Amino acid sequence: MPVHPLDDALRELLPRLRRFALWLTRDVPSADDLVQATLERALSRWSSRREDASLRSWLFAILYRQFLDGRRRAQRHAWLLGRLRTEEEPQWPSAEREAVAQSMLQAFGRLNAEQRSLLLWVTVEGLSYQEVAQILDVPIGTVMSRLSRARAALRRLGEGETTIPALRVLR
Amino acid sequence: MNEPSEHDIHAYVDGRLDGERRDAVELYLARHPERAAEVHGWQRDAQQLRAALAGDAATPVNPALEPAAIRARRRRRTVARLALAASLVLCVGIGGLGGWQMRSWQGASATPPMGDALTAYRLLAMEEGAQPDLVPRRDGDLQAWLDRHFQRRVAMPDLRGAGFRPVGGRLFATEQGAAAMVLYRDAAGHAISFYVRPPGPRRHLLPRGERIDDGLLAQYGSGNGYNYAMVSRAQDNDAQVAARALQPLI
Repeated sequence: MPVHPLDDALRELLPRLRRFALWLTRDVPSADDLVQATLERALSRWSSRREDASLRSWLFAILYRQFLDGRRRAQRHAWLLGRLRTEEEPQWPSAEREAVAQSMLQAFGRLNAEQRSLLLWVTVEGLSYQEVAQILDVPIGTVMSRLSRARAALRRLGEGETTIPALRVLR
Repeated sequence: MNEPSEHDIHAYVDGRLDGERRDAVELYLARHPERAAEVHGWQRDAQQLRAALAGDAATPVNPALEPAAIRARRRRRTVARLALAASLVLCVGIGGLGGWQMRSWQGASATPPMGDALTAYRLLAMEEGAQPDLVPRRDGDLQAWLDRHFQRRVAMPDLRGAGFRPVGGRLFATEQGAAAMVLYRDAAGHAISFYVRPPGPRRHLLPRGERIDDGLLAQYGSGNGYNYAMVSRAQDNDAQVAARALQPLI
């Protein structure tokens, strides 16, 4: 099997992509499916990639769009089929449950998907504000105001204020 | 003095601000203790989040995500598409026979049964982000869940011999009452589903049959007052596993 130079770069980014996907889907198998779909898309679109974007932010962007598309499709299907499901508490992987910074993770988990993505990109992955603006396809000023809202929300949740998350996944 | 821009505040929190602009933010915060408390809180949160998520990237290796495996899968799909294109050309070439065959396909697809089983499979097995209602923690969890929702016994197939384990169950509403689907996956992530629902209004019980739709195979039949379908990839091994699972039910 031929070895592609790109594969090493992709492999190195896998843990980050999986972590991001896990915080979006909240379950390991769907996170890995999402990563798989992302890689497939990335490989098929490799030639149309914008040179100025880093590989990492480009992959994050693909993954995030796939997640949003999947959610939209799932909502349509769900609407067609009718749902008997009652909302349950999200099921977090147990490794996270046992983490030391449990309350931080709980607060983080209660943010909506976009806020989780923003904070993950900026504070954990260290993407530049410009890169985040490209991923979300919004002006940088919008990134700033959304970041303010995300940080304020995390602060509130971390301080134990009980607020209903503004937007819940799969709603 | 002017309030620093939102950009500078975040850049300060994220440690991306140097020199004069950083001094300006610090000076401003020194004079505005309320804002300072908030911004320093953001800074603490960011540090805690980084610490909490640091070990989190170490999820167990999943061979399906290996770039070489993804390339191989893409190649196989291309080959399959070419093969399909070739078979269509052949079909057109055969002409009369092809036309006759076509007519019988159209006849069958006028009322294709168990389309809901295929839709359910696509929703749960192929959509990212779609979540089951129940993720089994122990053997028997899903059987107990089925027992709660169906009056007559619905025996969930055991596919462990073929390497498929149940990973989730989900209920769907149909006009005839609740339908349920149990999803199985093997180590490579391939999915097979078991779907059960009360019989439809006109076609009460189904004769044994199967249909292929966009690469998915639904094999179905009726037994014990319910309609059953096993949905899998339309591929030899998975199709056989599904056929064997359906056998005792119908």
